[in-house]
Amino acid sequence: MGYLDWLIAVPAVGALVVPFIPVSEERRSLIRGFGLAISLVELVLAAVVGVQFNSHASGYQFVTDVHWIQSFGVSWFLGADGITLVLILLTALLFVIAMFAMKGVKDFRAYVGWMLLLEAACMGSFTSLDLFAFFVFFELTLIPSYFLIADFGMGASGKAAVKFFVYTFAGSALLLVGIVSLVFIHDSETHRLTFSLPALMDTHLSGTTQLLLFLAFTAAFAVKTPIFPFHTWSPDAYRAAPIPAVVMLAGVMAKLGSYGIIRFDLELFPSTARSLAWLMLTLAVIGILYGAVVAAGERDLGRLVAYSSLSHMGFIVLGIFAFSTEGMSGSILQMVNHGIYTAALFLLLGMIYERRGTLDMAKLGGLQKRAPIFAAVFMLVVMASVGLPGLNGFIGEFLILVGTFITHRWWAVVAVAGVVASAVYMLWAYQRVFHRSQADASPFGEIKLKEALLVAPLLALIVLLGLYPAPLLARIDPTASAVVQHVLAAKGPVSDGASLPAVVKGVK
Amino acid sequence: MAQYLPIVIMLVLGGVFAAGSFIGSGLLAPKRPHRAKLAPYECGIVPRSEPPERFPVRFFLVAMIFIIFDIEIIFLYPFAAAAGELGTFGVIEVAGFALVVFIAFAYLVANGALSWGPSRKQSYRVVEERLASKVPTGVRGE
Amino acid sequence: MIFANVLSQLPIALPAISYKAVAPELVLFGGALLILLVSATVGKRELPGLYRAIALVAALAEGGFSGYQLYLAQGAKASLAVAGAIAYDGFSAFAGIVVAAILLLAILIGPGFIKRIAGDGPEFLVLMLISAMGATVMAQGEDLIVIFIGLEILSIALYVMVGYRIGDGLAREAAFKYFILGGFSSAIFLYGIALVYGATGTTNLAKIGAFLALNVLTHDGVLLFGLALLLLGFGFKVSAVPFHLWSPDVYQGAPTSVTGYMAAMAKVGAFAALIRVFDIAFAGQIVQWRPIVVGLAILSMVFGALFALRQRELKKILAYSSINHAGFILLGVYAGTAAAISNTLFYLIAYAVIVVGTFGLVSIVQDSIGVSEGSCSLDQLRGLARSRPALATVTAIMVLAQAGAPFTTGFLAKFSIIVSVVEIREYWVAVVAMLSAAIAVAFYLRIVLAMFRGEPEEVEGERVLAIQGAATEAPARRQALAWIGVSLSLVFTVGFGIFPQPLLDLAARAHIVG
Repeated sequence: MGYLDWLIAVPAVGALVVPFIPVSEERRSLIRGFGLAISLVELVLAAVVGVQFNSHASGYQFVTDVHWIQSFGVSWFLGADGITLVLILLTALLFVIAMFAMKGVKDFRAYVGWMLLLEAACMGSFTSLDLFAFFVFFELTLIPSYFLIADFGMGASGKAAVKFFVYTFAGSALLLVGIVSLVFIHDSETHRLTFSLPALMDTHLSGTTQLLLFLAFTAAFAVKTPIFPFHTWSPDAYRAAPIPAVVMLAGVMAKLGSYGIIRFDLELFPSTARSLAWLMLTLAVIGILYGAVVAAGERDLGRLVAYSSLSHMGFIVLGIFAFSTEGMSGSILQMVNHGIYTAALFLLLGMIYERRGTLDMAKLGGLQKRAPIFAAVFMLVVMASVGLPGLNGFIGEFLILVGTFITHRWWAVVAVAGVVASAVYMLWAYQRVFHRSQADASPFGEIKLKEALLVAPLLALIVLLGLYPAPLLARIDPTASAVVQHVLAAKGPVSDGASLPAVVKGVK
Repeated sequence: MAQYLPIVIMLVLGGVFAAGSFIGSGLLAPKRPHRAKLAPYECGIVPRSEPPERFPVRFFLVAMIFIIFDIEIIFLYPFAAAAGELGTFGVIEVAGFALVVFIAFAYLVANGALSWGPSRKQSYRVVEERLASKVPTGVRGE
Repeated sequence: MIFANVLSQLPIALPAISYKAVAPELVLFGGALLILLVSATVGKRELPGLYRAIALVAALAEGGFSGYQLYLAQGAKASLAVAGAIAYDGFSAFAGIVVAAILLLAILIGPGFIKRIAGDGPEFLVLMLISAMGATVMAQGEDLIVIFIGLEILSIALYVMVGYRIGDGLAREAAFKYFILGGFSSAIFLYGIALVYGATGTTNLAKIGAFLALNVLTHDGVLLFGLALLLLGFGFKVSAVPFHLWSPDVYQGAPTSVTGYMAAMAKVGAFAALIRVFDIAFAGQIVQWRPIVVGLAILSMVFGALFALRQRELKKILAYSSINHAGFILLGVYAGTAAAISNTLFYLIAYAVIVVGTFGLVSIVQDSIGVSEGSCSLDQLRGLARSRPALATVTAIMVLAQAGAPFTTGFLAKFSIIVSVVEIREYWVAVVAMLSAAIAVAFYLRIVLAMFRGEPEEVEGERVLAIQGAATEAPARRQALAWIGVSLSLVFTVGFGIFPQPLLDLAARAHIVG
């Protein structure tokens, strides 16, 4: 078994073991310890993969390829390139933090079990190069996240969880039909039934087919990312879900969508991706602006961050469809960075909620006087999210805007407005929560050591990646430029045979 | 159509026989009506109440057992008519059929389907009591 | 013609009865007779252990025979038997294995709960074995009359089983509805057979196929009308929309263990016959019946999913879910290719095992909260995850498997049907099917949510008492066998969900003769 197999197997086995650990209710912290141990092992594994990764190659590394279901031509086909690598690292890191952030959870057993299963599913989705396996893992992420939202959440979390599940499932429904259709078109061309991505990349598709398949694939990823206008589940889910689940949702699972776009949409349907770039860019820009505008109008801190997340995911999509190496690298880097500062942001929101029981900005205020260190930490994360140079949010956003400006000038110009707006609403929110006169006279505890340790690694990364992103970029760049080359080099679609002008001529 | 001729002939014969029986008995039979004879269920027992009243489901049970045997007879007759030609094969098949009917009959007898006396088998009473007391059995516990 | 033969004293042509071909039926029926005989002769009516042992042996023997047939059928041994009225092929053998699997699980799960309603008598197992025999007859029937007889054997036993809780109003209504409507649909089915006979001059499927291949009917109205009526009869049995109106009430009113058994067994029998009749005998008429079948399938999938959303009664929700599943299986019939047929069989076995397991779990839940096998509202499930975590988890897995969660056979079944539909290039049908599955997810999740949300103390005092009462009553012994059955179905569902290749290979061997 290769490293990638272990990456999936370790948390999966852990998840299976958790329900059967014979520990009494009083000593349930042992289960938490078990979850932590597994996620730390996972982090070490991911780090080993990161170290052993050959950063000069753009192809897949650590490949495993064995038969799984011969009848359907499905194989267990794993591999990692630069994009996968950084996402694996991000996932492993955030899960460790989510395992630590278990405060307020009553049922440790269920929580740890679902978390480990979710980790296995995320790792599986990021490393699978077989479309069937990818889809299976992609779907599998839904179940644990559903339970994490519904079971441990606050307020109307049941409804939000169902909404989340049904939206994403409907998206994946189209994805499944798209995958199967593609496989059978490939099968009829080559008489080889296979779900493996590299093989399917050679399929010759007519323009219409490619367009429809592209839309089917994109529907699933657009819901997951989320891209405007498929985002409506996300504010509800982010608001209702418990903090660690939101960290996973916004930090890792949203990246599944953008990862899917790069890995599958661009690899499989490069020419359609090119011809539909205007649409995706427009949606991305609308998402950026819409998210910013709605966020500015939100009174609830949780929903505000959810909408700002929509806006920032818009940047990532923008960079992807700019089809320049800078934009692509920026997007991939931004996926990691967004994961880091959003996770930190939600963790801090969780601390506020724990102290005050609300995230309504009207009821909060003047927290800086009571908890100056907390305020400073919050400020740092807000600055990262706004994209202050020197912090990690800046570099990705900058690369994206540069990359987009090279190829699609006007979209970049409009998107810049999103950067400004983001600064406005985030700082505005900061001011309302931390500065204003106090709405609530009750005390607000300073950040505790435990809490500080929880966010410390994220803060360190925010500063570190902001000042020195080179190690990540070195690993991302070869893959990013390979993907962009693939898209730009793709010839136009195979003609339909009876294309429209020919038919018109025939009639004449 | 010629192959249907025997059926038509049988139909006609059947109709003639049925009609003839009615007409013949109407013309020839002596008529001495009295109360018991005019009442429904003319099987020797004088009804003590009006017909549209509930009566034991046992009647249906017997009727159904009767029909089962009737069906057995229906199969046995043609077998008997062609027993020679059907040979061992026929014997096996009919024996199997008779065995099935016999086991079913044994089951019925064992469950008291034919016992008319006041003392019934224990098991039947249990089931009937359960049905009578409309309490769902689950609630009472076992 | 036979009548004419008798009149003209021609020698009778004796059919060669291949007892090997009908071994599954003989074993099941023999088991049923043996149970009856034992109960009649031993002098004691209630011998649950012995009855159950006999029934299990019969089910296993039937499965063994079918497995052997499947093994043989791979060679050139597939053939027709009993004067061409019984098919003896891989398809029927696989259906026989499905029947055995259902029986095995149902025998383990059911009687313990039925005992509380109607005692430990032999009848329940006998009816079960006989209805299973009906299903195998339907799967093997190569003649419309034989299929009809199988249908009646299956249905009549099921009518009785549905009415087991005769003391309860809902159950009476269910049994009555099922019986009346079932009889009605059987009559229509029979009329369909008559019309097909009128059009083709035979009721034998092989001969019908040959006749239709050689002759072109100038007026095919009679044949098509007959086909439509046959489809209606089948549609009723599998509860496809718009012939589904009986199923929610019947599912609710029947004892839970019967509901699970019926949902699985009736579908296996009816779909096996449906495939044989439509995909093989009337393969030439595919242009005519395909639009109807796909219409039924889409209506079933969409409305099954939509109607369930408004229900608050667990068994009714599961009834609509089974309508949704029926729609999916109909898509396999609709596709009709050889691969699609083996995929449909895969769906059938996956569905059958999941559904028996799910209803078994509902039985256990009902038993644990102290209600009888009748209806069960979602509110009654509240807080189950707190009071019985293992039960709630297993139930959640099975319900999610029905929804098509990955790494279960439920997902692979849906996947294989989508593959079949895409293979014949009907992409929009596949999209509609998957979207209906997405809608269906919402109500499956409501079931799960009901168990995992809500503290037990939120519920009114009465039910809390019921839970405590049931807990002190030690239902563990009664539930032990049921747990074995449920665990088997769970292992099957998850095990073959992860490594489905052996099962897919088995289904791929299930060729249809002719």
